[in-house]
Amino acid sequence: MHELGVVIEVVKTVENFAIKNNIKKIDTLVLQIGELSAMIPRYVEACYPAAVDGTMLQDTKLKIEILPGNALCRKCNKVFNIIENKGICPNCNVKDYELLCGREFRIKEIIAC
Amino acid sequence: MNTYKIIEIKQSVFENNDKQAELLREELKKDKTFLLNLMSSPGSGKTTTVLRTIEALKDELNIGVLEADIDSDVDASVVSKTGAKVIQLHTGGMCHLDAEMTRQGIEGLGTEGLDLVILENVGNLVCPAEFDTGACKNAMILSVPEGDDKPLKYPLMFSIVDVLLINKIDAMGIFDFDIEAVKERAKKLNPNIKVIPISAKTGEGIKEWADWLRQEVKKWNEN
Repeated sequence: MHELGVVIEVVKTVENFAIKNNIKKIDTLVLQIGELSAMIPRYVEACYPAAVDGTMLQDTKLKIEILPGNALCRKCNKVFNIIENKGICPNCNVKDYELLCGREFRIKEIIAC
Repeated sequence: MNTYKIIEIKQSVFENNDKQAELLREELKKDKTFLLNLMSSPGSGKTTTVLRTIEALKDELNIGVLEADIDSDVDASVVSKTGAKVIQLHTGGMCHLDAEMTRQGIEGLGTEGLDLVILENVGNLVCPAEFDTGACKNAMILSVPEGDDKPLKYPLMFSIVDVLLINKIDAMGIFDFDIEAVKERAKKLNPNIKVIPISAKTGEGIKEWADWLRQEVKKWNEN
């Protein structure tokens, strides 16, 4: 579990952003996590309260959007979900793909009030 | 009633680290110091491989070592006996090193006069692959007892490294380890990967590894 260290980094980044943009209070923080990223949403949520404790995000709600792990089949060009199909193209049954998305871990937006 | 405002940030969480890593690389370039990030799982023979590497290159290069572990200084004390400059970094529970921690280590070590710094990362095949440390090249060790299925289980690690050292080949007869399968699996993930079978115990293959490293250090300092 390495989420805590990374979430602390997220909190620092958001705090810096808020200071620079003169934002006093943040209602919600929205993160985007890819299905194939090494960050597990459940663990990110679990360590979030500890990471924000004593920071300006202490009362900020956390919202996580999951991005699908999609791939493009190199043989037949079909786009398919890697997890659902275990990496095998459902159209031509070949495991030879190019990753399109799913490894992201992004701070999408903040809702300020 | 409060008025809410949505502010888009759209910033990758790794972006900060990537920037710091890039900065560290630029500084290392100016200082003419080559940083190698060495990764593997615990018990694959990282420290013994580091010792062999120092032995092979210490007459021609000034070498420093950063030992990263969650706790203890056993590795640093072993490596310091070779006469190389060593610093032990404690990650304090973290399973990987990031560029900022690496910079602190490099600053503690001091790059002056050092041609090569070997960063012995935390023993782990998962998270270290996600974080750019600022190293000039990345290498990993897979040891024979760990099994030939590891490229299938930890694909990211195998796809980001420049070199794969297959260690403990002296024990090949005892384990069902298909070295050709490993090479094939690794190359499928990473066509440019260089695979060098070694035994840090007997010294087999160390020459080829040291030759590669020497060449890379030279290239780094040339242009």
